[in-house]
Formats: sequence, C-alpha cells, structure tokens
Amino acid sequence: MWYNTGVELLTTSVATVESGSEPYTLVGLVGEADVTNSDALREVLDAEVAKQPRTLIIDLSGLRFMDSSALHVILRANRAMDRQGGVVALACPREPVAKMLRLTAADQLVPVYSSVSEASAG
Amino acid sequence: MARSSVQSSNQSSRSLPLPSPTNDAMYHTYRSDLSQVRALVLQHARAAGLTESRANDLVLAVSEVAANTLRHTKAPGTLAMWHDADEVVCEVRDEGTITDPFAGHHKPAPGASGGHGLWLVRQVCDLVELTSDANGTTVRMHMALRSPGADG
Repeated sequence: MWYNTGVELLTTSVATVESGSEPYTLVGLVGEADVTNSDALREVLDAEVAKQPRTLIIDLSGLRFMDSSALHVILRANRAMDRQGGVVALACPREPVAKMLRLTAADQLVPVYSSVSEASAG
Repeated sequence: MARSSVQSSNQSSRSLPLPSPTNDAMYHTYRSDLSQVRALVLQHARAAGLTESRANDLVLAVSEVAANTLRHTKAPGTLAMWHDADEVVCEVRDEGTITDPFAGHHKPAPGASGGHGLWLVRQVCDLVELTSDANGTTVRMHMALRSPGADG
C-alpha cells in the first residue's frame, strides 16, 4: 500500500514491504526536511510507529537537506520504537545529511546503512 | 563606527558592534521560506568559490540560524551575504534574543531533543560571531576560501 502526503518541500511515502520472514515499514523522504515541515513529518512517523512494526526503515536517498528539527523528529521516532521493542534504521543518506548525522552523533543511536536492502537485512 | 555615548542599560558585553557588511553585500528578507534562503546561500557560496562540501556546510549553518527566527520570533529575519578573496560571510539578523552566552558551545547529549542547531553552526563554520541584546540577535558565519584544512 502506498500513499503520499504532499507537503510543498517534503514528500513522504509509506510502504509495507514483504521481505522474507517479516515485513518492514519503509518511509521514503524526498525533498527538504526542515523546521517548516517537521510537524508533518512527525505525524507521518507517529502514525507508522503506532502500528508497531518490528522494523521501520527511513529511506533518505531523496532528501537534499535535513535540519536539526527533522533530526529530532527521527530521534523521537527512534525512542518510541525502542520502547516498543522495534528498530529504526536510516538508509542511503546523501553526503550533507550523512555529515549532519555524524556531527550530532545521531548515527551512533540510529544505524545508518548505504541501501534499503542492507538496512532490511539488519 | 560612531556610537552614542548613552548606552542602553540592557546592553551586555556580548553586544559589541560588528564591523558593517561590505558595500556589495546582498540582502534578503525571509520569514518561512527557508528553502529560498538555502538556495541563495548555496548559489552565493558556489559563486564565491567554496567547495561543494563546504558550501553545503554553510547552507546548513544559515538554515539552522534562520530556523531559530521562525521558532523564537514573530518578525522577519534578514540574511546578508558577501565575500572577498579570503572568505565567504553570511549574516542573519532577527528580533530574537539569545540569553545563553555559551549557546552552541556544548555538545548536546546523544539523542537530545534540542540544542543541536547552534552546535552544528559552530561545528561547520570556520568562525561564528554572535551578538545579542534586547533589540535582536546577529549571527555572522565565516567560511575561509583557502582553508588549509579544507576538504575536497
């Protein structure tokens, strides 16, 4: 199932991917994630976390920019998933986003993979 | 710069005046269109000769400071950009007040739900000047064009 929430700067897509033994939730972010759309991003992630998937993968390959507001939303989702025994993984950040994840040490809290398939293999 | 001998009582030692921007500085007033702010900074940084990686660093820094304008004030902010042979400078002014003199100097705890913005600004820029008083805040971000440690 796919649906899109059209926020001007940031487009999110959500899919449930059947993979091997266990399906995972894949959230794709395309565009620019900043303070002006972090509330919308929070709503999307909250809705998926509430479905209690085992694994939530956020595909960052289409994200040109991410600021600290968007990072906080992702860290918040990571805490919520952790509390319910699930895992968040980030896939394929472009270099500016990857650098920001390193500088904030967020990459030590949320695993970062070079592709969605690697992330789904854990 | 000529200064009035009557100093406002709320002026702190941190609100020493910065030298004026150069005459050829470009100005842009923003409110919520941070994407446009980022595009202008990227364009200016590239034209001035910053590497792509450091241009993206400056974009992140300016965007974080401009985001604070949205979070903490109700008025527009002003972006000024200029460069010379040695450096690219972006300055953000708004009506907000930063009361913590060490804002952005301490690394937030991993997973902290705030405090990453100014920390990132100070990490990626070569020099950050911040002045703040009851009248507003000015953050001036410098990127050297011939930094010995510059990557790619």
